[in-house]
Amino acid sequence: MLMNLQRIKMYLTMVTNALLRRKLRMFIALLAVAIGATIISGMITVYKEVPEQMGREFRAYGANLLLLPAGGSTTIQEEKLQSVYQKLQGHEIVGSAPFLYERLKINESPILVGGTDFDMVKKVSPYWQINGAMPSGSGKELLLGYELAEKFQVKPGERIILALGDGSWESPFTVSGIVRTGGKEEQFAYMDLKQMQEIVSKPGVISMAQVSVVASAAELDAFTRQMAAEEPSIHPQTVKQIASSEQTVLGKLQALVLLVTVVVLLLTLVCVGTTMTEVVSERRREIGLKKALGADNRNIAAEFFGESCMLGLLGGILGTVCGYLFAQAVGTNVFGRSLQVSVPIAVMSVVLSIAVTAIATMLPVRTAVKVEPAIVMRGE
Amino acid sequence: MFWQMVKGAVLRQGRQLLFVALTVALGVSLATAMLNVMFDVGDKVNQELKAFGANITVTSKNASILKDIYGLDNASAPKEYLAESDIGKLKTIFWTNNIVAFSPHLAGNLKLDGGSEVAVSGTWFDHYMKLPTGEEFSTGEQYLKSWWQVEGAWPKETEPDSVLVGKTLAQKLNVKPGDSISYVKKDGTKAVFRIAGLVSGGGEEDDQIVAQLPAVQQALGLEGKIDSVNVSAMTTPENELARRAAANPKSLSLKEYEIWYCTSYVSSIAFQIEEVIANSVARPVRQIAESEGRILDKTQLLMLLITVLSLLSATMGVSNLVSANIMERSKELGLLKAIGATDRSVVILVLTEIFMAGLIGGVAGYVAGLGFAQIIGHAVFGSSIAINMLVIPILIVLLILMLLLGSLPAIRSLLGLHPAIVLHGR
Repeated sequence: MLMNLQRIKMYLTMVTNALLRRKLRMFIALLAVAIGATIISGMITVYKEVPEQMGREFRAYGANLLLLPAGGSTTIQEEKLQSVYQKLQGHEIVGSAPFLYERLKINESPILVGGTDFDMVKKVSPYWQINGAMPSGSGKELLLGYELAEKFQVKPGERIILALGDGSWESPFTVSGIVRTGGKEEQFAYMDLKQMQEIVSKPGVISMAQVSVVASAAELDAFTRQMAAEEPSIHPQTVKQIASSEQTVLGKLQALVLLVTVVVLLLTLVCVGTTMTEVVSERRREIGLKKALGADNRNIAAEFFGESCMLGLLGGILGTVCGYLFAQAVGTNVFGRSLQVSVPIAVMSVVLSIAVTAIATMLPVRTAVKVEPAIVMRGE
Repeated sequence: MFWQMVKGAVLRQGRQLLFVALTVALGVSLATAMLNVMFDVGDKVNQELKAFGANITVTSKNASILKDIYGLDNASAPKEYLAESDIGKLKTIFWTNNIVAFSPHLAGNLKLDGGSEVAVSGTWFDHYMKLPTGEEFSTGEQYLKSWWQVEGAWPKETEPDSVLVGKTLAQKLNVKPGDSISYVKKDGTKAVFRIAGLVSGGGEEDDQIVAQLPAVQQALGLEGKIDSVNVSAMTTPENELARRAAANPKSLSLKEYEIWYCTSYVSSIAFQIEEVIANSVARPVRQIAESEGRILDKTQLLMLLITVLSLLSATMGVSNLVSANIMERSKELGLLKAIGATDRSVVILVLTEIFMAGLIGGVAGYVAGLGFAQIIGHAVFGSSIAINMLVIPILIVLLILMLLLGSLPAIRSLLGLHPAIVLHGR
């Protein structure tokens, strides 16, 4: 037992001393391993995060899911939406804008007016260009589509008369802003949902909701099928233009990052491999001496193995930390948020560093131990 | 004498210098590929983003005036149209190469034989055209609506009566691909649409018959006329200048105007389209145009960071190997010193050898890297990557950095050793 302990101690001393004695050499080898580990941990984290983080950026395109009334009804009860959101849990909902459309009269001509939650519209449709401001929800304010504003010749801040179709109610409203989108929205007017529901006396009712959710086209389809079975009064429709195009572009981006990762990783592997080969070949004389002193091949291989594992461990830890820093730099600069630390990736990169270093060392060692001590010692 | 020594080293140490050249080639090829891909990724992703559909719509200037002023509905109001013959002019504007695809539209309602009325939209599916400039160009809905799912086949231009029917409408009419639908033309005669496929796209096309433009023009009695054109153009992300110009191009100074006009902002492309097509208004579709800019910026930044990391790792890796290589030559350097060479002359000698090897490796690596960039381009985007000359100066700086970083510390540590000890072999 005591004997064993001493042997292990001696083994560790030999291994650490071998590393410490050749400072520059080992520093270079350590650097090579660390670079490899940086690439593994940093790039793989980025690769893994690309669909999610870029997917969030793609939400700038607007809603990818519409919730429409189904089953013969033309409206949805607002409280039903909550149950839909619950079914979507697991996916981040960027925003969900409810709309209640009703034909009202503006300056005596019939106009389709939408009641909505403007805070949500800002999140779901960030591309709306507003000249002026969005209605605040407190005063009697209206957001006019660009085409309507041209037609009525009104500017932000001016007043127009809003009336019910049958003329039973009318009131002046301030135009808080004018919206340009280049799409159909320019032909509509928008106001706060609560005010709208009061005016048309339909409390708690909406016509549809636009949802912007971070999910792939396949996930959205699966959700659509699930909804059809569980909630027949709401029909979810995927906006194919947005959802499936997003899929294509994201796929390409991820493939690009993957390809680059593989290429860089290969380069670093070559680096580690050659460095370790050099390290071993430099020490042929030492191997010869040890053999001459009575060490057998197994002893020598075990010592190199220990050295390379220690090198791999140190380099792996160093590189994982650097890789984490790189991933954070990408996260804050590109996506504006910190990326999650993934323990499996960190562990994997350390283990891989050890394995690669060990393999890169053991291959040359296998040939190196075969040398005749006498020949090497003589200096051939 | 100096060159003779260099020559001697190259001959004697051929294997080792070849090794240096190889490592440098490896690093440089990686850097070349990454840099070229990085510089081109904007264009490539921009092309991919075209999958989201048209970002400019062109309509007639007075399209809805009569309807708005007199409250006439679509059917009775004399409407203003664009001329189909003007469409080709789209490809004559300054940014013509940025226009990826476009398709004209003419919408209306048709009476079917059974008496029911359905919405039809006439368009090009895959239209071959000769441009006023003499070039050839194919465009149409097939290039624009990448998200359309067609069950059956796309209609072919050679069969003018073939159509796509929206999925929802097809269920209502109870038809499938291969069936025919007969309808009544404006002049009272009857004609037949042959269904090539069913389309589902999640938009208004699900409730429409999407037919060939000439057929719809005849059916509605509107020969040579179109409602609108959807244009898909590659654009530069908008900035302050573009926004001011979009509000009013006349508010810019002459110089600003020139910069704006000659940059592919969505607003300047729209402006140029209005210039060439008579009586038209071209409007950016904000949903597509704005988001594109955002995604592009992010992708480019992501690519830049990845490139920096890989350049860093290439530099470190190569300098690592170079320095390992030099360490091997300790004996030779010791001998040089022992017979009286100064430190400086040793450094110059070794550096010359390394740089010669590095230069050869660099050139080989550059060529290999270009090939590599093309492989990435084809694997990921299905098209080749443009070669950017700006890459070369960056590569030269990198190469020098790699070699100096790899050789100087190693040489210095060798020179610090005593010749006798080195030669003795310890």
